[in-house]
Amino acid sequence: MTAVLEVHDLSVAFGGIRAVDGVSFAAERNAITTIIGPNGAGKSTLFNLVSGLIPPDGGRVVLDGVDRTGEPPHLMQRAGLGRSFQITNLFFELTVFENLRLAAQRLENPMRFLLPVGRSDCALTRVDELIARFSLAEKTSELAGALSHGEQRRLEIAVALAAQPSVLLLDEPTQGMSHADTADTSKLIRGLAKDVTILLIEHDIGVVMDISDRIVVMHQGKKLAEGAPSTVRNDPAVKAAYFGHA
Amino acid sequence: MTDVFEYIQFVLAPQMITGLALGVAVVLVAIGLTIIFGLLDVINMAHGEFYAVGAYVALALGTSGVSFWLLLIIVPLIMIPIGYIVERGLIQRVFNMPDRHVTTLLLTFGLGLVVEEALKVVFGPNTQRPATPIPGAIEVMGIILPTYRLFLIAVGFAIVAAVAIVVNKTRLGALVRAAAFDRNMAASLGVPVSLVFAGTFAFGVALAGLAGVLLAPIYSVFPTMGRDFVFLAFTVVIVGGMGSISGAVVAGLLITQVQAISSLIVSPVWSDPIVFSIMVLVLVVRPQGLFGRLGHA
Amino acid sequence: MRDNVTAAPVVDRLALAMRASHVLVAIFVVAGLVFATVGVAMKDTFFLRLATEALIFAGLALSVDILLGYSGLLSLGQALYFGLGAYVAAVVLKEIPSFWVAMGAALVASLVVSILAGLIANRVRGVYFALVTFGLAQVAAKAVYNTRALGASDGMIGVPIVPIDLGVATVMSNSPAGFFLFTLAFIVVLYAISAYLLDTPFGRVLLAIRANERRVPSLGYSTRNARLAAYVLAAVVAALSGALYPMLRGFVSPELLFFTTSGNAVITVVTGGVGTLAGALYGSVILTVLKSVIGSMTEHHLIVIGLLFMVTVIFLPKGLMGFIRPSIERLIGGGSR
Repeated sequence: MTAVLEVHDLSVAFGGIRAVDGVSFAAERNAITTIIGPNGAGKSTLFNLVSGLIPPDGGRVVLDGVDRTGEPPHLMQRAGLGRSFQITNLFFELTVFENLRLAAQRLENPMRFLLPVGRSDCALTRVDELIARFSLAEKTSELAGALSHGEQRRLEIAVALAAQPSVLLLDEPTQGMSHADTADTSKLIRGLAKDVTILLIEHDIGVVMDISDRIVVMHQGKKLAEGAPSTVRNDPAVKAAYFGHA
Repeated sequence: MTDVFEYIQFVLAPQMITGLALGVAVVLVAIGLTIIFGLLDVINMAHGEFYAVGAYVALALGTSGVSFWLLLIIVPLIMIPIGYIVERGLIQRVFNMPDRHVTTLLLTFGLGLVVEEALKVVFGPNTQRPATPIPGAIEVMGIILPTYRLFLIAVGFAIVAAVAIVVNKTRLGALVRAAAFDRNMAASLGVPVSLVFAGTFAFGVALAGLAGVLLAPIYSVFPTMGRDFVFLAFTVVIVGGMGSISGAVVAGLLITQVQAISSLIVSPVWSDPIVFSIMVLVLVVRPQGLFGRLGHA
Repeated sequence: MRDNVTAAPVVDRLALAMRASHVLVAIFVVAGLVFATVGVAMKDTFFLRLATEALIFAGLALSVDILLGYSGLLSLGQALYFGLGAYVAAVVLKEIPSFWVAMGAALVASLVVSILAGLIANRVRGVYFALVTFGLAQVAAKAVYNTRALGASDGMIGVPIVPIDLGVATVMSNSPAGFFLFTLAFIVVLYAISAYLLDTPFGRVLLAIRANERRVPSLGYSTRNARLAAYVLAAVVAALSGALYPMLRGFVSPELLFFTTSGNAVITVVTGGVGTLAGALYGSVILTVLKSVIGSMTEHHLIVIGLLFMVTVIFLPKGLMGFIRPSIERLIGGGSR
């Protein structure tokens, strides 16, 4: 197994608070690496550092063997990093179809950037695939803002995946979902890992133990532990910090 | 050496004092603008027209015999219900539409057009000038200064100080700041948010009207007076930081001094481009302005 | 006519809306041709020239709509580019009476100025963008107003009549019907270019910025570049429209750069319908008609215009096109992508 994404000693501080403090880990190809930790552990900040939304104070982000520390989000995306957001972040006044096409547009030959959208064949083919895979066929012409919460969360993942990234960052994809939806979504994510390396933030510990290949535990900005689900589950330090008892 | 002193005494100092009077005037208008933005998130493009309405009401009442001192109280009292109605009847209609900034800006822009044209219909297009309420001049260190301008500077500072105290130190001000910070939270704590909003808007409008009364004897009264003046006030608000009272005061005094001195050194015709360039520069370098925003620390 | 619901095709609302705009512009052109025919038959000059002016200002409104309707940026200073085009064309025409040289100069000037100004203006967004564009236009307006070489407050008169050589025919800029038809064609070409560009992946990125700017970078697009491109496109459209102004009127004046001009363009777009492009054309004609009809009754026509504008903002936030276009969409509608 090879690491697609490597994070070395990544740090950032906001007003003296070390939100992320010297975190290192690697995400292996076609595996699901899950970041867990209590609220305020710095998980979403870590995602923002990796995806270029926040420039780090120190450390390195290496994607596919290339050091991309501090590159802005649109260049990180072009380098093969897709991400979803914890709070649903879609184009609510555009249709599901248009959300997906916008996201898939990157796959198109850049020469077609100034040709009518109707001629973006690669993008349109990709949109059809995504619609089928994420069971959104009934909703393509609806505005994203009119979807149910569960559907929006699904679309959020589809949008992040549209441009065929090599690494997919999913920030609490099952947040606010019903039990049934959560189960479906975790199955879906497991299936995605066949084609893409996944870095996941997840609170539902059942989902975490079920689908993760590797778990990174964060606490107060630092990495507390790392390992296979079974190892992490029995780690006393993790139990103390995360599960609230030693 | 004496040349320098004479320059200061007869050219620079009077120019700066005139600039200071203009500065105080602009600050009065800008404070209303900045409070309305800070609290309601509304760019009131009609603010200059409220200033003009204040001046015209003062002119009309003044010619029918009401004393200037009484006008200082009556005109703001007349403006308050006008502002209240505009906020309740117009602003609130579009307040929750998407893109509040643009929508309210467009609406108040339309309102400004209508008011300006209405003033032309009612009072005619000509420039009128009320008599100076305090005639004469005072000599200070050999500099001759019109008494009314000195009065304006003093009264202006007093009003600004009073507003700052009300907003920052009183319970009423605390309600306003709470509503500005988080209207939902304030509402759930029992702050009558819609009354606070309309009241604040009316207060800003009343301040503009009061500025109209005070400035009419110096800058004359004409239908487009508001449009010309409000551009300067907007610049002050932007440079000072939208929603900041102290920012408006500092920026207002600073910019009018730049204007006054650049008129001397460069040429009066270039003072406007200089002032607008400052505005653009501040927006680009420090979009939040020199000071923060009301209720947002 | 009923929609074909059984097949449940993907309705691309954006493409459909754009097609509806095309239909409305086609109707607009037909109306323009009828108007020109009637005008020529009645040997009219006044109304043809008034209509030509309306079309020129429609170009300015189009440029405001490219910014406001597609990338969500309200410009309160688009007159800067309209006036730039007009002044550059006037200066060039007085030296070299060639239409194409004048247009080329306006194009180059607007490209240069808008790239520089765009780098400044695009550092901020929302209200601040509106105020920066306003400030930049004010600086330019006051500078022109004070520059003797450009005629200062009087503007420049005596712009010569130019022949417009179109290859197949030559139109004189003082021919009422000829120049009207030319301007109509010119504005429709500007519309077509804008509509084309906004229907490409580039245009969709702009729409995405309007809908949710913060999400766009993680789709792999630099919002700064896209916004600058939209800004430059809008500037060029405004400048090329403005360049026609001195050809029609024979003069330019600093008023072309003033806030009133920018404000009128905003009123035009909002009345016509933001984000429709066709609305800019209809809005400009409607406002011109209103101004001349009400203006013939009272000199205070701005009261009526202002009230109408306020009513539009409150009750018809999508403007006239928002009212009409959905029915056109239903007529041509329902098709696949």
